[in-house]
Amino acid sequence: MKSLDPRVNRLQPDVTGKSIAPKAALDQFGTFEVFVQPKDGKPFQHEGIVHAPDLELAYVLAKEAFTRRFTCTSLYVVDTRDVYTSPTTEGDQSVYSLIEAPLATNEVKTSYEIYHLLKRGKQHLHAGTVEASTPQEAMYTARQKFGTDKTIYNVWAIRTNAIRLTTPEEKDLWNTLPEKKFRDATDYKGGDKLKSFLERSS
Amino acid sequence: MYGGGNTFEGIQTESLQEDPEKLAAFEARIDRGEKIEPVDWMPQLYRKQLIRMIEQHAHSEIIGALPEGTWITRAPGFKRKLALIAKVQDEVGHAQLLYSAAETLGKSREAMIDDLITGKSKYSNIFNYPAYTWADACFISWLVDAGAIVNQLANAKGSYGPYCRALERICAEESFHLKYGHHCVIYLATGTARQREMFQQAINRWWTPMMHFFGPADKISTHTQVLMKWKVKMASNDDTRNQFLDMYVPKILELGFTIPDEKLKKNPETGRWDYTEPDWEEFMRVINGDGPCNKERLEVRRIAEERGRWVREALRSSKTAYVTPLA
Repeated sequence: MKSLDPRVNRLQPDVTGKSIAPKAALDQFGTFEVFVQPKDGKPFQHEGIVHAPDLELAYVLAKEAFTRRFTCTSLYVVDTRDVYTSPTTEGDQSVYSLIEAPLATNEVKTSYEIYHLLKRGKQHLHAGTVEASTPQEAMYTARQKFGTDKTIYNVWAIRTNAIRLTTPEEKDLWNTLPEKKFRDATDYKGGDKLKSFLERSS
Repeated sequence: MYGGGNTFEGIQTESLQEDPEKLAAFEARIDRGEKIEPVDWMPQLYRKQLIRMIEQHAHSEIIGALPEGTWITRAPGFKRKLALIAKVQDEVGHAQLLYSAAETLGKSREAMIDDLITGKSKYSNIFNYPAYTWADACFISWLVDAGAIVNQLANAKGSYGPYCRALERICAEESFHLKYGHHCVIYLATGTARQREMFQQAINRWWTPMMHFFGPADKISTHTQVLMKWKVKMASNDDTRNQFLDMYVPKILELGFTIPDEKLKKNPETGRWDYTEPDWEEFMRVINGDGPCNKERLEVRRIAEERGRWVREALRSSKTAYVTPLA
């Protein structure tokens, strides 16, 4: 294979013609949900997922995939299996109407992060933190604490200590974002050049 | 950047019988303007078509990064290199977002990547053409991106929540791509006679693939009508092509370039563009593998897959597990 691309020529493709065995359907890394806080004082919002071999690498990949472009003050990731989800409702039915009081337990309480879907098609937003001994109880507590006037279509409860948070020392990860003007549309002003060209050519 | 209005391969739907009650509730939700979320019941055809469409879009981002990526080392000057690296990185990031959206419908990312490298899945046909000069890279950055944005803005109004969320983020990130591309072209257009000639030749080379980009005129079948009703397909291929011509032909002509189609003219009566039909036989031939770069594009992906295998194997751990993304 001769390419116009000098890099491809340097690759010296040694796999040409070899068949690649397809992977088993689930032969791939785990799934981690990514949450970003765009500005101080704003709630965290769900941004998407990354696939990674562990929580720490998930954090690194999430930083690159979700926070390299727009302002960010904090980021966290959690294994998708650690997110406890409610059913999803529609129309004007709030999902909290379906969440009933769990059986009382004597287990130790721990904190849970509660996320709300306020509109179908939008991102889940952080509503607050509750103390509970089970995810079911966390949702019921959230219903009493946050399930007020708005219609909420879906709730997530995530045990706080399952989350890979951003440490205070890592907060400076995003300090240099505003300097990267080459990723900013306003840095590409061709108007004057175009205008003088048009004047010359008319 | 490369959401194709054109999704290849039809789906056989005759055998798909859906529960009429569930179907009615599903359609009512779409009529109310509510988005569909992954846990909702959805017709088989809706799921299949969305997987196909989002997967092809994701592959197009990955493959689309190749002809531009070629020019990173040879981009004129440090600023252009920085910008082009950032842009190519964005495109690969967009593929990740799109793969995730398709995964919520039940196909794993690795299965999609397998289908790309074995040639089972398609990607936007335009990337089977080579970028000979810097001007070709500029044409892609400005005009191919522009075409993609026309498609993506339309698709962002579709009915599937995860795809809409991915597209919203993609469109926001692309705002600089288009400006960067136009900036590059303005510099060529206002430069030396040789620079102008370079870009003119790029237009001449890319015009046919650009017209192909939006896909052949839709045959309005019941299939298409259903997909439009379900807000999977948001605009006809001819509509997006017209919208692109409306927005960008004046900008190309303003720079003093010509477009290699004598018939290209806006028809004052219909308000639509008249043009010579691009060679659709060539389009089909290239889609089916016989284009100038098909082989190289897939080969580069295969090399990446093969050479990355040991890294993936070394990192794999039994402590995590693949599960379908939540949203």
